[in-house]
Amino acid sequence: MAQKTQRTRKARKTQSRNGAKQQLAMVFDLNKCIGCQTCSVACKVLWTRDEGTDYQWWCTVNTQPGRGHPRDYETMGGGYREGVSQPGRRPTRQEWGGGWQFNYEEVLYGGKGQSVFLHHVGEEPQWGPNWDEDQGAGEYPNAYYFYLPRLCNHCTKPACLEACPRGAMYKRDEDGIVLRDESRCRGYQFCLEACPYKKVYFNFLRNVSQQCIMCFPRVEQNVAPSCVRQCPGRAVWFGMLDDEEGPVAKLVRKWEVALPLHPEYGTEPNVFYIPPIGPALLNDDGSFDESKPRIPTEYLEGLFGLKVRTALDTFRAEMTKTREGGKSELMDTLIAYWWKDMFKPYDRDPAEIQWK
Amino acid sequence: MKAAKLQLATRTLLNPAAQQWAKMPAEEMSLAGTPLSEQPSRYVRAAWAGKPVGAVRFLKVQAAHNGKDIAFRLEWADETENKDHGDGSVFPDAAGVLFPLNKDAPLESMGGPKAPVNAWYWRANLPEGEGQNLIAMGAGTVQETPKSFAQTRAHWADGRWQVVLARPLTIDGDGVQLSSKQSTKVAFAVWEGSSQERGGLKSFSKHWLDLEIA
Repeated sequence: MAQKTQRTRKARKTQSRNGAKQQLAMVFDLNKCIGCQTCSVACKVLWTRDEGTDYQWWCTVNTQPGRGHPRDYETMGGGYREGVSQPGRRPTRQEWGGGWQFNYEEVLYGGKGQSVFLHHVGEEPQWGPNWDEDQGAGEYPNAYYFYLPRLCNHCTKPACLEACPRGAMYKRDEDGIVLRDESRCRGYQFCLEACPYKKVYFNFLRNVSQQCIMCFPRVEQNVAPSCVRQCPGRAVWFGMLDDEEGPVAKLVRKWEVALPLHPEYGTEPNVFYIPPIGPALLNDDGSFDESKPRIPTEYLEGLFGLKVRTALDTFRAEMTKTREGGKSELMDTLIAYWWKDMFKPYDRDPAEIQWK
Repeated sequence: MKAAKLQLATRTLLNPAAQQWAKMPAEEMSLAGTPLSEQPSRYVRAAWAGKPVGAVRFLKVQAAHNGKDIAFRLEWADETENKDHGDGSVFPDAAGVLFPLNKDAPLESMGGPKAPVNAWYWRANLPEGEGQNLIAMGAGTVQETPKSFAQTRAHWADGRWQVVLARPLTIDGDGVQLSSKQSTKVAFAVWEGSSQERGGLKSFSKHWLDLEIA
């Protein structure tokens, strides 16, 4: 861990409190995310195996509609309204859930493999990451759900950073990654209160707050973050937001089909989502009503703001164009024919690198 | 206030329940919440506007030394014993003794860029017996020194914390240097964890007190 802190210090080359000169961003296509949790696990095995991080999942994928992780995080406040900091509250350990202990010793090494079932030890789990998986909403045959991967948004106006009275957090000018100097953190958790996405975790054993670091040691070696590179569904793009020729800028700025989660929180996130188009509504006679989406547009507006309608309209128009034999840059980008094009120039193979 | 010189082992001074403490005069002081205007974070100023700061309003302090170590015994009422972060909704209770390292160091802002202050800090979730030695040069600048010097013992019963912080009068490191027959300024702070107090949100003694070391 001391080694990691040193790396954090080393990374503190330049800092800024309000936006960065260049900004790395991600785009997740919710039409392609299959909820496999490979991103969650890729992050978990890389960053949160140290003491006190057992319940931390810097990247989580939850089913929508759902209560999210931590439970009901959208009701906990934080962020800005008309530029003014909003009070927030910290999730309790129960609202996070996860980090459970199991009787592995007994079952795997205690000679009771044939007589004792694997079960959790201690308090009955009440919540955890992805707890309400695949529940969704709606009534058969028009039930619906989709998956929403979430990680720190490395916001342009990071409420966490502004909340820290100790200046322990900073946003790097060269790529906009938001980081915390753990040697300056004294565990006050104002960052956690201020973050409206509740993507900051408190390490109860080390008395410091922790969150996604956008895999900055990988990024510095031109390797995409682990959640991006490990995605088996080609559902995520990564790159500089102002790289006009890159897919991220095209999806966010040119085509305007990639939207931030809860833009009304006012922090200007840099993780964007292609909203799910979903199937059409099924009529009682089993036919499709192509004029009505099964996922209510109002629900999507509640997540991604009012630009959802135009984004979906663009998406549908380009799909139609392609179906009719036309050529669509947007569709070609979303299909992602070449995997590495999704995160160039961060496409270096991490296996080639001698990591210290 | 005075720190009497007593022929007692440091181990005895560190015991908040030692009967010698019961015989000693105590300085009883009212505390105030730290002013919100001194909070360096815009979020904290906005989120705490209109909310009370400084749950603990009364503190009893005693001080004594044995020629080698000096000890402060702090006692205050706190209905809730917060030994840790609980389910994440509270903070551990804490207390601190503060000294100016420069005679002009302001108290409300925890010193300034050219006027450092030195705190001996106890928090209920620190490893038993271990205090922290902190240096600050303004609000939000507290830094723990590599070596602590401060020893602590704490006991909560019947809605009261009794905490002793002790340290050698002189140390080989960053911090206030004290000696017998000397007077200095001192201030005190208490954090009530179930009232969300941590960092700059706390009760404090409002002004520097004169401490005469016998």
